[in-house]
Amino acid sequence: MPLPPGTISRRDMLRTVGTGLGAVGLARTLAAGTSSPNPLAVREPHFPAKAKHVIHLFLNGGASQVDSFDYKPLLDKYNGKPYPGGNLKTERKTGALMRSPFEFKEFGESGLKISEIFSNLGTCADDLCIVKSMYTDLPFHEPSLFMLNCGHRVAGHPSMGAWLTYGLGTENQDLPGYIVMCPGLPVIGPQLWSSAFLPGSFQGAYVRNDEEDPEKLVSYVRNPRLRPEQQARQLELLGKLNRRHLGQQGHAPELEATIHSMEVAFRMQVEALDAFDVRNESAKTRERYGDGDFARGCLIARRLVERGVRMVQVYYGNMQPWDTHQDIQRMRQLTADSDAPMAALIQDLKASGLLDETIVLISGEFGRTPTVEVSGRISVQNGRDHNSHGFSAVLAGGGFKGGLAYGNTDDFGFKAEENPVHPHDLHATMLHLMGFDHTRLTYRHSGRDYRLTDVEGKVVEALLA
Amino acid sequence: MRIKPAPIISTFSALLCLCFASSAGAQSGADAVEFFETRVRPVLAENCFACHTSTKLGGLEMVSRSALIKGGNSGPAIQPGHPERSLLLKAVKHTHERLKMPPQGKLTDEQIGHISVWIRDGAVWPDAPATQAGDAFRITDEQRRFWSFQPVREHEPPKVRDEARATTPIDRFVLKRLEENGLEPAPPADKRMLLRRAYLDLIGLPPTPGQVRAFVEDDAPDAFANVVDDLLASPRYGERWGRYWLDVARYSDDKLNSTQMEPYPQAYRYRDWVIKAFNDDMPYDLFVKAQIAGDFLEGGKNANLVAGLAFYGLSPQFQDDRIDATGRGFLGLTVQCAQCHDHKFDPIPTEDYYALLGIFNSSKVDEFPLADEKTVAEYQKKTAEIAKEQKQLDEFLGTQARQLVEVLAGNTSSYLEAAWNVLGPLRRSVPEVAHEFLLDEETLERWARYLGHSPRDHPLLDRFDEFLTDSSPGNLRPWAAEMETLALDVLREKRRIDKENEIRLGGEDSSRVRNEVELLSLERDRHFLWRDLGSAQAFTAPVGFDHGVLYYAGAEIDRFLPAAWRQHADRLRAKIEGLQKTLPEKYPFLHVVHDKEDPKNEHVHIRGSKDNLGAEVPRRFLSILGGREFKTGSGRLDLAEAIAGPDNPLTARVMVNRVWLHHFGRGIVNTPSNFGRMGEKPSHPKLLDYLAARFVRNGWSIKAMHREIMMSDAYARSSESVGKNEGVDPDNRLFWRANRRRLDVEALRDSLLQVSGNLELSGGGEPTLVSDPANRRRTVYSYVSRRKLDKSLGLFDFPNPNRTSPQRIGTNTPLQGLFFLNSEFVMRQAERLSDRLIDEAGRDDAARIRRAYWLVYGRPPKKEELVMGHEFLRGGAGAWPSFAQALLSSNEFLYIQ
Repeated sequence: MPLPPGTISRRDMLRTVGTGLGAVGLARTLAAGTSSPNPLAVREPHFPAKAKHVIHLFLNGGASQVDSFDYKPLLDKYNGKPYPGGNLKTERKTGALMRSPFEFKEFGESGLKISEIFSNLGTCADDLCIVKSMYTDLPFHEPSLFMLNCGHRVAGHPSMGAWLTYGLGTENQDLPGYIVMCPGLPVIGPQLWSSAFLPGSFQGAYVRNDEEDPEKLVSYVRNPRLRPEQQARQLELLGKLNRRHLGQQGHAPELEATIHSMEVAFRMQVEALDAFDVRNESAKTRERYGDGDFARGCLIARRLVERGVRMVQVYYGNMQPWDTHQDIQRMRQLTADSDAPMAALIQDLKASGLLDETIVLISGEFGRTPTVEVSGRISVQNGRDHNSHGFSAVLAGGGFKGGLAYGNTDDFGFKAEENPVHPHDLHATMLHLMGFDHTRLTYRHSGRDYRLTDVEGKVVEALLA
Repeated sequence: MRIKPAPIISTFSALLCLCFASSAGAQSGADAVEFFETRVRPVLAENCFACHTSTKLGGLEMVSRSALIKGGNSGPAIQPGHPERSLLLKAVKHTHERLKMPPQGKLTDEQIGHISVWIRDGAVWPDAPATQAGDAFRITDEQRRFWSFQPVREHEPPKVRDEARATTPIDRFVLKRLEENGLEPAPPADKRMLLRRAYLDLIGLPPTPGQVRAFVEDDAPDAFANVVDDLLASPRYGERWGRYWLDVARYSDDKLNSTQMEPYPQAYRYRDWVIKAFNDDMPYDLFVKAQIAGDFLEGGKNANLVAGLAFYGLSPQFQDDRIDATGRGFLGLTVQCAQCHDHKFDPIPTEDYYALLGIFNSSKVDEFPLADEKTVAEYQKKTAEIAKEQKQLDEFLGTQARQLVEVLAGNTSSYLEAAWNVLGPLRRSVPEVAHEFLLDEETLERWARYLGHSPRDHPLLDRFDEFLTDSSPGNLRPWAAEMETLALDVLREKRRIDKENEIRLGGEDSSRVRNEVELLSLERDRHFLWRDLGSAQAFTAPVGFDHGVLYYAGAEIDRFLPAAWRQHADRLRAKIEGLQKTLPEKYPFLHVVHDKEDPKNEHVHIRGSKDNLGAEVPRRFLSILGGREFKTGSGRLDLAEAIAGPDNPLTARVMVNRVWLHHFGRGIVNTPSNFGRMGEKPSHPKLLDYLAARFVRNGWSIKAMHREIMMSDAYARSSESVGKNEGVDPDNRLFWRANRRRLDVEALRDSLLQVSGNLELSGGGEPTLVSDPANRRRTVYSYVSRRKLDKSLGLFDFPNPNRTSPQRIGTNTPLQGLFFLNSEFVMRQAERLSDRLIDEAGRDDAARIRRAYWLVYGRPPKKEELVMGHEFLRGGAGAWPSFAQALLSSNEFLYIQ
């Protein structure tokens, strides 16, 4: 994209000023409750990290594992028979076992078994690390959404992206460090990317990806009246005002920080417009991702990570599209515009080498029952109820072992039995790859040290490459 | 002394990995025992026991000599006789690589010395009964001695070395600590700065140029006192300070509904009540009591007291939130931590949590009408009547619609053939074909639209598409006849299933019952055929329909109804319309809580689980605060009196600390809602007690507290740094200078509006959206959403209304910079300001620049600043608004110095 006239020299000029921030530790200023210099400056983790970025592709509503990544031949054989594994609590009444309407195929050299509706993703099989033994606490959306995002079952705790930007800062100071996209809002909404008691700089910047024009996507990114050179002149005046003021104050790191972030804001007008503009991609690339909000989200996610954004989250859709209580056949439509872009994203990251340092996580908030829902909440019995006892999460890159299917559910795919993995464990493992001991990435709030993994979590070594 | 900041990425948990052992005889000797009891145990108790007794952080249980010897991952904690080899000593001396204990700050050299001697002499620790798992929670003497549980004592203000500086009692306490630490107070702020600070602090708006001039020229000794009094008397004061309480009360205009906005219709009455309570200087003890038990005060009839109950009435849906807000909000205690286990650090057994839960479970959310009984009764009667008639109409029309579906389905084969005529090779028009086949034109239109799109959610009609290439309908006819049979069969089966399901539901229709019951359904494909033809619900595949192809909803069905049926429907409609016309707007009411008729005690939920109930706990107050049992109704009144009672050591301390915090940007206790062991200790314990005692003695008057604080020299210092202090107390914990604070979002938005001449001071009532460009009211009157907080409020760190928030955290991000550079809001204020400058200073640039500096900064421009302004304004058209915008975005405007 051509830069607005008069911007380049201004940008260069600005890069040379306002960098005089003293080496004032973030810790001190945050702990003192005052404004900090640049809370998003890059910080070193506890130990050398494999991964630097996270992209979380959220299949919100809860994708069915037995129709996607957890192949269960016995489900065909015992279709219509009762589940023999006891009475597991779900949200609603379910009946007999129900076979998957989709075929499973082997993919890649690793031979991972993946459902036909994820055939594109299947082509990445040797890069995928499928955790088949995920489980969480309750078969309800809200606590499970909070758990997967924030490590707690209730509102008011920082999300993983907030923790990561708090711990690491971000590499591109011209863009937010943590960006969340959804064409509308998922169930619960902004609480899911909240910074809660962490400082507000770490909250997810929410971008509604249902528009193609980046000026409509990013708040306040374009001045409605001033031309770039006029604005540059204004910023120059503002800089003079602020530096005069600062000169009278002596040591005032918070004032320096405000000057700094104003200059970053100025540069962001160019950077953000470019990063969010998928029209800059070739026709061929756009075709590989396909049409739709989610495809656009995946493509933008790639562009953001290329520019150093720490964490990007893309919700598949408004509310909870993967909540297939009524009709599991709906997954065919859901994958029609999500399978290809997820695969294209992983392929692109791999081609550029970024996959080595980017964790891609594909998951919903829980799984679905292998039994058919028969409750009074639905009008047709061809769907699956919520299942917190077992579900699959797919990881790729960032130090996760490719071509691996880890853990297992029981013979019918209901309950995680072999090597169960809780979201706390998943978080601990992801933090580990990002260079953190999850027990030491803490923040003191209201007299207690809080962390993403609460008081639980263990690193699942077997998932590491 | 160097004051240590709290670590951000703390090594807290890992630091505590020590283990312990059993069995080893304790040495004896009266001297050794005495040494331990007087020199060592108190230090351990004060600094270590909170985490390393019953809580066993890192596995270390410091309850006996043997426990210390056992060791674990990091080796034994002590080796009696060998202090230099003992991990404990390395940890407290901070010579160990990882372990640096205690986390809250290093012990004194003397304390470390005592521990060293004690280990050298064999680490004598007299036997005491070991703590057993399952033992009842016992509050230890150490816990009772914790500072915040001690009664408030009104300390004499101390003598200080520099008596000349000790102008007020507060200054004596502050100076004393400065002198002890060798700190030099910063010089006083100049008058302009002090005035600006006082205005922004008390009313959240900057002074006008006239107010600045008047104060600067007023040399009377009580000039500042008069300003403070005027500000406290202003209605703007409550709008500022009420909002801080709303942070604690986690005020919101809606519920946290997961899927949609769900406003509390009249939440604002609580917001207005809080503002008024501050403006009226309602005694704080009464303010507290009204919020907990306003329905028990003055016979429960005084709406001005009942209104406070919205503190609970507007809660997020869970009781634990009520307990959390009660504990942290009023008492500065994290009672909620005791939900699943005894509190790990404070003397709050899990029974205490369930004692309080019993109170809240014996109360229910309710409405308190602010209208006479007759009005309320009439309104409720009318709404019930409307609902009844509406239900009758809906049922009547629904029955007709379902019958019509059957009738039209009986003609399916004709419609299919007619649709073939429309969509197939003949491409005939719908009216023509409908006429020829004697079919309903609209119904054929719908069939054609439905069959003209694909894919459908079921394959049952897919063959229709194949016939479209035939040149005649010959092949289609037998298939169409089959489909007619199928459609009628599906409808018949659906009727049967519905009837059976109705029986299974047993007349109940709650989502709980619907979750649990097992119902029947059509087979998948048949279901979708039924849905597409006969359902009242909307669907989108193969193309959007508001309801089934054959379903005629609401008034659509009128043209099919025989005269008598039609008349019946019209009569019902007229009746509903008539009733609605006479229905008045809903009467005003308060969101409150009331007692349930049968108050009940709760059982402990072991590990927080409802399925694992322990002993019943009587409703009572916290054990550490007396544990008095509550017998009146739910117990809320007793709770209110216990919290606001004169003997409670916490309530007054917590509130004066909140007031101090918002004046200084830092509390005396800088964890304002946690006065427990994991909170920060007070930087000035005696000052805190002095203020708390004064507060109660002055009838719990918050305004008197402001006055006392603001008349101190400590308040009036400049924010300038003093070089030699930076090394000792860089975070200004001892208040040697004023803290520089960025305006919070309310003060920021309100100040922008005021300076540009746009602020509208009409207060109270329905909330307005911050995002509405026409909204020029103070920000406290904005709609606050738990589900989706306004973008610009969130951008500037407005507290999360899902939690009680004691303190604003000021962040500094580029996104905020974009707001100043590009938002319509800021640009609009800049334009209005530049218009205002013309109105007030004419066309002369110099005069306008001067006026701009006075309005925005409250001071005249310096000569260089005038030059700078002139230079910029030569930039041509649009330079003035751009100039104004730069001033409004500048740090001098955004920070309280």
